[in-house]
Parts: sequence; C-alpha cells; structure tokens
Amino acid sequence: MEIYLPIAEMSVHWLIVIGLGAAIGFLSGLFGVGGGFLLTPLLIFYGVPSAVAVATTSSHITASSISGAITQWRKRALDLKMGAVMAVAGLAGTVLGVWLFTYMRRQGQMDLMVSTSYVLLLGTVGGLMLNESLGALRAARGGAPAARRAQHTWMHGLPFKMRFRESRLYISVIPPLAIGLFVGVLSAIMGVGGGFVIVPAMIYLLRMPTNVVMGTSLFQIIIVTAATTVLQATTNFSVDIMLAGLLIIGGVVGAQFGVRVGARLRGEQLRLLLALLVLAVGARLLVGLVVRPDDPFSIQIGGQ
Amino acid sequence: MKGRVYLVAAALIFAAPAAASEDLVSGLSQDTVQITSNYTGADIVVFGAIEHLEDTGINDVVVVVRGPDASVTVHKKDNVLGIWISRDQAKLLAIPSYYYLSSTRPVDQIAAKFTLVRYEIGLQNIAPQKVVSHHDPEPFRQALIRHMQQGGLYGEQLGVEFSGPTLFHTHVPLPAEVPTGQYNVEVYLFRDGNVISAQSTPLYIDQAGLERRLYNFAHLSPLSYGLSTVLMAVLLGWLSSLVFRRAD
Repeated sequence: MEIYLPIAEMSVHWLIVIGLGAAIGFLSGLFGVGGGFLLTPLLIFYGVPSAVAVATTSSHITASSISGAITQWRKRALDLKMGAVMAVAGLAGTVLGVWLFTYMRRQGQMDLMVSTSYVLLLGTVGGLMLNESLGALRAARGGAPAARRAQHTWMHGLPFKMRFRESRLYISVIPPLAIGLFVGVLSAIMGVGGGFVIVPAMIYLLRMPTNVVMGTSLFQIIIVTAATTVLQATTNFSVDIMLAGLLIIGGVVGAQFGVRVGARLRGEQLRLLLALLVLAVGARLLVGLVVRPDDPFSIQIGGQ
Repeated sequence: MKGRVYLVAAALIFAAPAAASEDLVSGLSQDTVQITSNYTGADIVVFGAIEHLEDTGINDVVVVVRGPDASVTVHKKDNVLGIWISRDQAKLLAIPSYYYLSSTRPVDQIAAKFTLVRYEIGLQNIAPQKVVSHHDPEPFRQALIRHMQQGGLYGEQLGVEFSGPTLFHTHVPLPAEVPTGQYNVEVYLFRDGNVISAQSTPLYIDQAGLERRLYNFAHLSPLSYGLSTVLMAVLLGWLSSLVFRRAD
C-alpha cells in the first residue's frame, strides 16, 4: 500500500520504508551508531528530497537510539555522566554547525565540502578501525590477551580531571567535551548522528571499555538528534512526521534485534564489521565523486 | 504566467468573429484533486466539443495542463582535479512545476514556431520568465525539461482522440509527486496553423484530510511540530524496549 508523505509531497510504499528503517535500526542496535550516514543517502536514492531526508533521518536516529540505549541501560552498559558531558558539548556543536552550514552555503561550496569531508572522515575512521580490529583479532587468535594496557598519553596531563565510574576512567573533561563538540558540528553539517565518529573516539582516544561505549554513544546521539529535529522543523520545515513514523516503527524493532545480536558478538568482531561498513560507504561516496556522472545536470525545485 | 493568460484572453477576443460559427466547449472530469494518504497519482479526463464545425481546413486540438509556477535551480557538475563537483548553475524563475500537453498531431506540424512560442505550446517552447546565470542558459533549460520528463512532471503526447467528428477527449496523468496549487487546463482549437478558439479552466490540486492537517501543523506551529516528532520518537523507542523486555 502506498502512503502519501505530506512534507516530502510524494508517495512511498510503506513496507519499503519500514524495512529500510528496520535495517538501519538493526545496525544502530548492533554497533551503537545512529546509522544516519547510511539512511540519508538511501532515502535520497529512493526519491525523498534531500532536505527532508536529512531532517527526518535525525528523528529516526533518536528513536532507534532510545530503544537501544534503554536496553543498554538495563545492562548498566551506559556511562550517564560521560554521555551528559558529551551531549552538552554536542548541543553547542550543533548550533555552531548550523551557523557554519549557512556560511558555507553562502560561499557556494556546500556540496564539495559535504562530500569530501564524508569521504575523508569515513575513510580515516574506517581504516583506523579496520587496522585495529584486525590486529586485536589476530592477537586473540594467537592466544595473547587482547586487553589494552592503561597507557599514559598526553591526555593525562590535561587539567579538570573527572571520575567516570562506569568507564573506569579518571581523565580530564577536555577530550570528551572536544569530541562532543566536533560531533555536534558534524551532525549539523552532514546530517548524521555521528556515532561512527563517537564510537571509535571513545574506544581509541578516551580508552573506554567497549561494552560501555555502545550505550554511552547512543545516549549522546539521542540528545543531539532530538535537538537537530526540532531545529530543522523550526528553520527549514523539512521534517516529515509521516515518513519519520514509518521509519521509526521499523527502526525500533530492528534496533532491539541488533542489540541482541551485538551482545553475542565479540568486541573486536563488532569493530571489524563496523569498520568494513564505514569503508564501504566511504568508497561508494568516493566513486560518486570521481566517476563521470551519467548526467552532469541536476535540478532542485523551489528555494528563493 | 499572467502574460499568457492575457494572450489566451486576447486570442478569444480576436478569434471572436470566427468563433461565432465555431465554438469550443470543454470540461474536466473533476475540477479538484484531493491528495489523501493513499494518493498515488490521478488521471483526469479533459473533454470537449467543437460546435458548428466547418469542413474546410485542418482542425487541431491541443490540451495543455500547467501547474503553478516555481523557481528551479539547475546545477552542472564539472571535473576539477579528478573530482566531480557542482560548479555552474542557473536559476530559472517562474517556470511551470507541471506541464502536460496532449494534441492531435505533433505540435510543430500544427502551427508555426512563433505561434507555439507565444502560447508556450510544446515542451521545447516552455520558457522561464527570467534566468539568473553567468552561462548560456539553454543547456540548463534542456536539462530541466529532461529531468522533469523523467520525473513524470513534464510530458507531451499525441493523446487527443476524437469520438465522432466534433467530440474529443484526452487523459492527463497526475503522478504522485505533483505539486499542490492551482493548475490551468488550456484547450486550443487550431485551424490551418492559427488559434481560432481557446478556453482555460482552473484545476485545483490540494492536500486533504490528515495530510492537510499535518502540513498546516508543520508550517503554522513548527516548534510544537518538531517537539511532537521528537516525542513520538521517544515514545516509540521506549515502547519497543518495553515490549521486547517482556519477550525476553
């Protein structure tokens, strides 16, 4: 059955949209990422106007992240304090990002900035994760414990130390704030939740235990994407509640299955899978940048 | 758009002496299309009759349906250092957001180019009111027409059928993506390349029911709309974790 979307002004098949939401929700529960970096391009590919796709994706991420975060919270796999610190910085970053977005659009180089930063970011993050998780898997197979030693880095010299009990960390508050801010900017510029940046940043920079990382990144994503949804609805009128509802119904169910499957997989395996996924999306975007398009022209209806 | 309406009116006035013996009467199967949640596109029928038909000369009927004017920005990608990025662009102001033409014969056989251009009859003769670009606008206009055709919003068919010597009808497909607003259905009667009669009827396409209310909600109280969307997301997320905990 086809359903008409009032804001996107088009009709979609409800099963396809729910299925899409479920698939992305599954990944969200599995990896603790929002999945926006996949959902936004997929919706645009399906024909949803890009402004609506970007704005509506954020509400889908909110829902599937909540579903996943509650499950993690019950398992106590969530560092609320760390999440709160990063969310505060994330909100500031979102406001900064929206401002930057408007500025770059005035300069007329928005497309280039978005595409290249996607490719660079996904390529770097994916490559680092792939390298690390393969190393960890190899070490595990060789019988050596894959446990990370508590290394002393430059980060431990920073002031404003804070104790994060669930993460078993006593570190400066500056790195989590910086990561939160950076991710907030990204989510406004690229229309993503930023989980694929937060998760590796928490693991490799903050050295948080993998089991706490999932829940905590979901918590931070919830706050940032909820704010983005409201911001998009009030500035661009581009949130389609009908599309959001369908995506969410699929997404929350998918997220529950994702969390369960994730619990059965080992941390290194999860990171390897996520690395491959991130690299695949990055490669797809790179192809879009360098391969001659079938039609060099594109049209955009509306605007001033 | 305005100019064209005057032209149609002018055509009616100047054609008056001839039309005294040759009147065009036309109608639509429906004058409003309501977009509801199960809307997947519609098909309307434009029908009409030529009264007092004379046997001399070649009669042609052209039906043009135009959607509300919109501004369209066309971007062109270029290769810069191996990367394809959007560089050149043209903004076409006040161009129909929907255009469907149905005729008895290909339009370039019906009338001379300048007549077709004047009435904007035929996809190739659609012109924006104004083009904002630093480049030759023609490739951008062609790209626009091509993309709109692919999206089903522009079309040109030989779809006018006569049932009997004076009665004609044609189908006009309205895809699911049609913009809302006031449309104009123009019916032209050509004889030997001249417009001898023309008629314009408005057609309204509007969202109805729940869709209309959601659209209004989003535009009139965006803050509560945004908060409601977030609330819905939170509730559904929470609900699902409740349901699945039971299942565990």
